[in-house]
Amino acid sequence: MTNLLILPILIPLLAGVILIFFKNSKMIQRVISVIASAAMTGISGYLIYAVYNNGIQTIALGDWQAPFGIVLVADLLSVSLVFLAGILGLVTLFFAYQTFSAEREANYFHTFYLFLMVGVNGSFMTGDLFNLFVFFEVMLISSFILISMGSQRYQLQESLKYVIINTVSSMFFIAAIAYIYGVTGTLNMADLSVKIAQLYEQENSGILTVIALTFLFVFGTKSAIFPLYFWLPHSYFAPPAAIAALFGGLLTKVGVYTVMRMYTLIFNNDPIVFQILLLFGGLTMFIGVLGAVAQFDFKRILSVHIVSQVGYMIMGIGIGTPLAIAGTFYFLAHNIIVKSGLFFFAGITEKITGTTHLKKMSGLLKTHPYVGWLFFITAISLAGLPPLSGFFGKFALVIAGFEAGHYFVIAVSLATGVLTLFSMMKIFMTSFWGEEKLPDPSAKERKVGKLILPVLPLVALTVILGVAAEPFFLFSLEMGEQLTDPSYYVESVLEE
Amino acid sequence: MSTLHIIPLAPFLFAFLIPLFYKKFRHIHTGWFVLPLPLIIFIYLLQFLPLGGTAFQPVEVTVAWVASLGVDFTVYLDGLSLLFALLISGIGTLVVLYSIYYIANKRDEPLNNFYVYLLMFMGAMLGVVLSDNLIVLYVFWELTSLSSALLIGYWYHKERSRYGAQKSMLITVTGGFAMLAGFTLLYLMTGTFSVQEIIAMSDQIAASPYFVPAMILVLAGAFTKSAQFPFHIWLPDAMEAPTPVSAYLHSATMVKAGIYLVARLTPLFGGQAEWFWIVTGFGLLTLLWGSVSAVRQKDLKGILAFSTVSQLGLIMSLLGMGSAAFHYDVIDGESLYTVAILAAVFHLFNHATFKGSLFMVVGIIDHETGTRDIRKLGGLMAIMPVTFTISLIGVASMAGLPPFNGFLSKEIFFEGALNITTLDMFNVETLGFLIPVVAWIASVFTFVYSMMMFFQTFTGKHKPEELPKHAHEAPVGMLISPAVLGLMVIVFGLFPNMLAYTVIEPAMQSILPGLLGEGEQFYVNIYHWHGLNTELLMTMGVVLIGTALFLNFDKLQQTAFYLGERDPLNGAYDNGLTGLISGAQYVDGVQMTGKLRHYFTYMFVFLVAVLSYALIRTNAFAIDLANTAQISPYMFFIILALSLSTIAVPFMTKRVPAIILVGIIGFLVALIFVVIRAPDLALTQLLVETVMVVLFLLVFYHLPELRKESFKPVFKWSNLLISLSVGAVVTITGLSAHAFSHGHDISPISDYFVENAYALAGGENIVNVILVDFRGLDTLLEVFVLGIVALGVVVLIKYKASGREEV
Repeated sequence: MTNLLILPILIPLLAGVILIFFKNSKMIQRVISVIASAAMTGISGYLIYAVYNNGIQTIALGDWQAPFGIVLVADLLSVSLVFLAGILGLVTLFFAYQTFSAEREANYFHTFYLFLMVGVNGSFMTGDLFNLFVFFEVMLISSFILISMGSQRYQLQESLKYVIINTVSSMFFIAAIAYIYGVTGTLNMADLSVKIAQLYEQENSGILTVIALTFLFVFGTKSAIFPLYFWLPHSYFAPPAAIAALFGGLLTKVGVYTVMRMYTLIFNNDPIVFQILLLFGGLTMFIGVLGAVAQFDFKRILSVHIVSQVGYMIMGIGIGTPLAIAGTFYFLAHNIIVKSGLFFFAGITEKITGTTHLKKMSGLLKTHPYVGWLFFITAISLAGLPPLSGFFGKFALVIAGFEAGHYFVIAVSLATGVLTLFSMMKIFMTSFWGEEKLPDPSAKERKVGKLILPVLPLVALTVILGVAAEPFFLFSLEMGEQLTDPSYYVESVLEE
Repeated sequence: MSTLHIIPLAPFLFAFLIPLFYKKFRHIHTGWFVLPLPLIIFIYLLQFLPLGGTAFQPVEVTVAWVASLGVDFTVYLDGLSLLFALLISGIGTLVVLYSIYYIANKRDEPLNNFYVYLLMFMGAMLGVVLSDNLIVLYVFWELTSLSSALLIGYWYHKERSRYGAQKSMLITVTGGFAMLAGFTLLYLMTGTFSVQEIIAMSDQIAASPYFVPAMILVLAGAFTKSAQFPFHIWLPDAMEAPTPVSAYLHSATMVKAGIYLVARLTPLFGGQAEWFWIVTGFGLLTLLWGSVSAVRQKDLKGILAFSTVSQLGLIMSLLGMGSAAFHYDVIDGESLYTVAILAAVFHLFNHATFKGSLFMVVGIIDHETGTRDIRKLGGLMAIMPVTFTISLIGVASMAGLPPFNGFLSKEIFFEGALNITTLDMFNVETLGFLIPVVAWIASVFTFVYSMMMFFQTFTGKHKPEELPKHAHEAPVGMLISPAVLGLMVIVFGLFPNMLAYTVIEPAMQSILPGLLGEGEQFYVNIYHWHGLNTELLMTMGVVLIGTALFLNFDKLQQTAFYLGERDPLNGAYDNGLTGLISGAQYVDGVQMTGKLRHYFTYMFVFLVAVLSYALIRTNAFAIDLANTAQISPYMFFIILALSLSTIAVPFMTKRVPAIILVGIIGFLVALIFVVIRAPDLALTQLLVETVMVVLFLLVFYHLPELRKESFKPVFKWSNLLISLSVGAVVTITGLSAHAFSHGHDISPISDYFVENAYALAGGENIVNVILVDFRGLDTLLEVFVLGIVALGVVVLIKYKASGREEV
């Protein structure tokens, strides 16, 4: 049964390779990548069930046991994220089919998408720090090609910055791995957890704090915290909506996942690190939302909002109590769903009007009421208004933050909520409300048709995660317990 | 799930059906389908009214919702919530009826939207007043803000509507977030979100350091919602909503949600000096500010909006004054300070009746004449006699004239304000005398604006040429609702004690629990004639001075005070908003310059700052040269050459030398590998470098000439400083890590590889065994990365998207 763990990595890898040979058959391309994504989702769904009932599952690759070989670890956090990635992948594919040119699909879009999934799923599941670096590489290079394919001027200009900044961050990743290996002599994350905890007991263990913060530079860049997020806002504006949705929903969350893993499992007891997490969590959410307030373009607002939302999660990790971690995960899951949904809406309105600039379109609510209302629900969910998914994550974080005595950062998070609402309402009030003003007369009659279908499950999810939050929140609490006590993870990995 | 749970949820569920009705029965006004719902709720709730003179028994039913966060959907029906629920459903019924005639069934105005919002609001508002759990209350609270904003923006093609919607949403949601924080603090103190349970613990938590912050945060929510100074500025702009909405949300119900919350939490916070002063102070300030501002308005709805602000302040201040009652015993169901609570409850009810009817009347005038500007209106008495009569009743009640209900509650208000000056705590002796003075001044202005709106509209010369429409009396359907409300103004003015046992006493009992002994009840007896006491003299003064002021209205019209009508506080909001946007654009512009060199500057400054902070703070710096490897003499040479060529690269002005230098660096690194006896690595490095140089030279032909860029010295030096610091920090960290690693005896996993590379994996070269066996996945994936790159190169070269036909 544990062999199932490799499948979320293996399936997209194989499927992607196979599709290279079917470049010109759109049908085969689509069918195989949908099947692969569905299989990933199904398997990870089953894994959630298995992990919830039987505890953490591991697989030692090549049968080299931990800590010597590479292990894949399925705990509640990792399998849930793989599951969400699968769902997001599926809806992205359906959206892409409605919006992509045949040429883009024929130029290995599916292959790169599947390879990206290899990197994403692998990053979630690996239990080895160096292996994480390698999965990051897979993810980075696939995402670079997805973001720049089409080779338009703006795309190349921005994706170049994207890839350079991320490569520099990878270099520091190597340096940080070297430091930590030099100190502990191990790379397995469970083993690191044990050894780092032992080393903190020693005198002059301050260097561990420095190493922990070097990792923060690396994972902070991946998850786009302030002031490491510069690669994100412009580069996510460049690609088509389907790709922006996939990236906006998923890629920074891989970074957040690594921050979460690193500072719950390995450096989970260092007050300086947690102070800095709280400080930069607060700065990230506030500076990020200011960026959204400043913009008047649908996609740009969304892009820079990603940054702000990451700040909430970093704050939650910085609070670090089981409730805070539960809230962080809830928020993370919510954000994956809602953020991609919003990018889809940007794509839909662009399909209708041909622009993403807010001031060039208005009155869309009248011509396209369903789009307008579905967007409205998603937007207020992002702002954390009840009773939608955004509320419960934020609410749990507020309780946890107050309990831990972090009043100021919670106040910042609430203020950020107001500005989030402001920037989302800006989109709604300028583009959907107002006199009917569309760039071309045919836009009024332009039907969105099947384009609306991929957002429906996302909107449904944000409603369900709000109105029927209880089972999901219980699950998150369970996860919070599992993560804040590393012994679960350590024992499962190192038992054999 | 009980019937009581269905009450707040039914409107939401019903809202889903509305678009269906709208589509299926296009010729029938959708309002008719909506009408039965509030009526049924109203009639259902009537059965809870205590008619036999027995004390009200609260009803409580719980359904679990998000139990893991302490959020249960508990419905709690007591005197206070019953009063509000009746108002919401009762006035809701009248407003829906009125709206059927007010909002025409036209093709371009989506009626279904209107009723969906209205039902959403009704459900949310019922939820607010019926929930015992603070978080459920909060959820419904935000839904009222949301539906209110949607209703204000109903005519969203109008700029003013969008402005008003945004303003109300921003202000009330900000207050809501503060309130959520306050509720959370209450939870931390008590471990529960149930209002009743929290109240039961109020003695234990009063000393907590969270207590006052929680109070202030909760009040922020209540004050923003109930339009208390200085947050009231959203309410006048909310008048862009269709008039039935103004009557319903923005005078009779939603704006009273804050009042409800303050009343609901009085048992918890009442008796505290902070509560007394904040609630009373803001209430009085709002009362005064609202009534003075109302006089400046020219728009009938503007007058009513500020009047509502003022009256909300009045009720708020009464709740503040009444909170002092917790310090005194109640004798015979009465005390000096419970009178204020009595006045609050009574006036709350009265205000809903007369203000509701006045809004509807103004709607009629607007509907039939096409304007609400009092400078254009006049002489409508003869043309619209029924409207005139209803207005007369409403205005007289608002001005506080007998025999209408507004007179009664205003008298009791004066009584409460006078009583409070006798209070011997909270330092009332210093400023307390101001309370009745402010109350009286505000009442004078209330009288003035009441006269103004009445006489300017109905008397004087009719000016048909200034009116967009030919004025005539409204259809009967439209007159029913205001007439019903007007009738209530008279009935409850003449027979106020009909309300005493049924509504007022149970509500007072909810606001002031614990003051009564077993089986006791508040003693409420309201009557017109108290004898010639101070209160009556005050009313006479109001009428005299008010009339005198009104007679000099012509002079008043010339003053600068009258000529402006926008609230000066709006400037703060508008400038704040534009300042926010331009500030945000500035912050954004500084960072997101689009230039990689700036990005790296910020990132590296962060890196250096954070790491050196940690290095210094933890005193982590350490050097341990024991156990270091022998450095061969070649090494010094190689490192020197490596450093020199690295430094030289930025000084190259031509591409070819730069490429060659970079190549040299690569080969020198390969040499290092040779010296430290890692032939595989050296070989790999050599190959990579060779390929790199060849590739560079291949594309060299296509590259533009290397331009000499000139930078300011500051820029250059700061860059130099940053690069040196990054290098220094990375090196120091490495050295210290190395030193630290010798302070312990944890054996590295490489020992295992050394022992088992041959024994288990059958390879003699450990590096190779690690690469292809122990950590085979890494290698597989690195090869995979190369494959992706290769394919990527093909795609980047071959595929060029044609324009933006995709999205």
